Amino acid sequence: MNEREELQKGAVVAGRSPDSWRAGLSRFVTIIPHTRNLGLEVEEASPPWVRMRLPWRDELLGDVDHGLVHGGVLTMLLDTVCGSAVLCGLPSPEVCPTLDLRVDHYRPALAGQPIMAEARVLRVTGAMVFTEGTLWQDPQRPIARGIGNFVRLGPRNTPPGFAEALFGEADHA
Amino acid sequence: MPEGFHDVAWLARTRDQGDVSAWLERLPYARHIGVSASRDAAGDGLVFRLEPHEHNVGNILLPALHGGVVAAFMETAGTLDLMFSAREPRLPRIVDFSIDYLRTARVVPTYARCQLLREGRRLANVQVTAWQEAEDQPVATARLHLVLAAPEPSDA
Repeated sequence: MNEREELQKGAVVAGRSPDSWRAGLSRFVTIIPHTRNLGLEVEEASPPWVRMRLPWRDELLGDVDHGLVHGGVLTMLLDTVCGSAVLCGLPSPEVCPTLDLRVDHYRPALAGQPIMAEARVLRVTGAMVFTEGTLWQDPQRPIARGIGNFVRLGPRNTPPGFAEALFGEADHA
Repeated sequence: MPEGFHDVAWLARTRDQGDVSAWLERLPYARHIGVSASRDAAGDGLVFRLEPHEHNVGNILLPALHGGVVAAFMETAGTLDLMFSAREPRLPRIVDFSIDYLRTARVVPTYARCQLLREGRRLANVQVTAWQEAEDQPVATARLHLVLAAPEPSDA
């Protein structure tokens, strides 16, 4: 892709309002079967930052007796929220698989309450996108922190019309 | 509380019986994504399996399993494997978790095997390898640090 095409593709993204990003990322997590099934919601997006909300449901439990959330839910949520931050942190959305993810579990998440997930892009290079995310139920008491690194497959490996589809616009590609 | 992870007698009994399914029954999210375990035919450990449920998909274009679901599967496997192979029945709590994604996890059954690299008095390090068609072509490797808590006595 030459520079001009890159700029034109970037125009799909440039000047998007936070509301437009919130709608686009909502579409993204609704297309993903696992997060659609769990009812994950995008609350706010301010590129390259995003906040999501996972409503409570009993399937999230890991310790039934003490009413604690399964640790794997937290890892899954961090992967999702960091990966969504990646989409809004690039010049134009690209398909970026997770290379690795590291999660620190600060305290258990409690049953019956939604879990909030925030993530932002820290750095974009030609090959990589570096992110960090945090989960909480009480904003003063983080549950877990994640560091996720994502690989840029580049515009060539991103399906035509990917950005347009994200923003729910007609795909003329 | 007659049964459950916090009851030492129940934990010891299910462990002696190798009844990992009794543990999985008490882990709703692990059941939701479809984790099961069986005795390793080749050794004395466990092999874990993740069902390729439609609701485990993370990328519909490829299609591929959700990387976070694969991580949750491996975290579950590592924790249960430690409960099974630790010197005594104890309930572990995850401190941190790290996963490297090596290949796309397609929407087919995924397997995992664990190795307890270190079991100290308070901390354990468990390594987990996940694969699909061939064990020598892993889709991901992961490692966990866990704190080993003594279970509460039955009369607690």
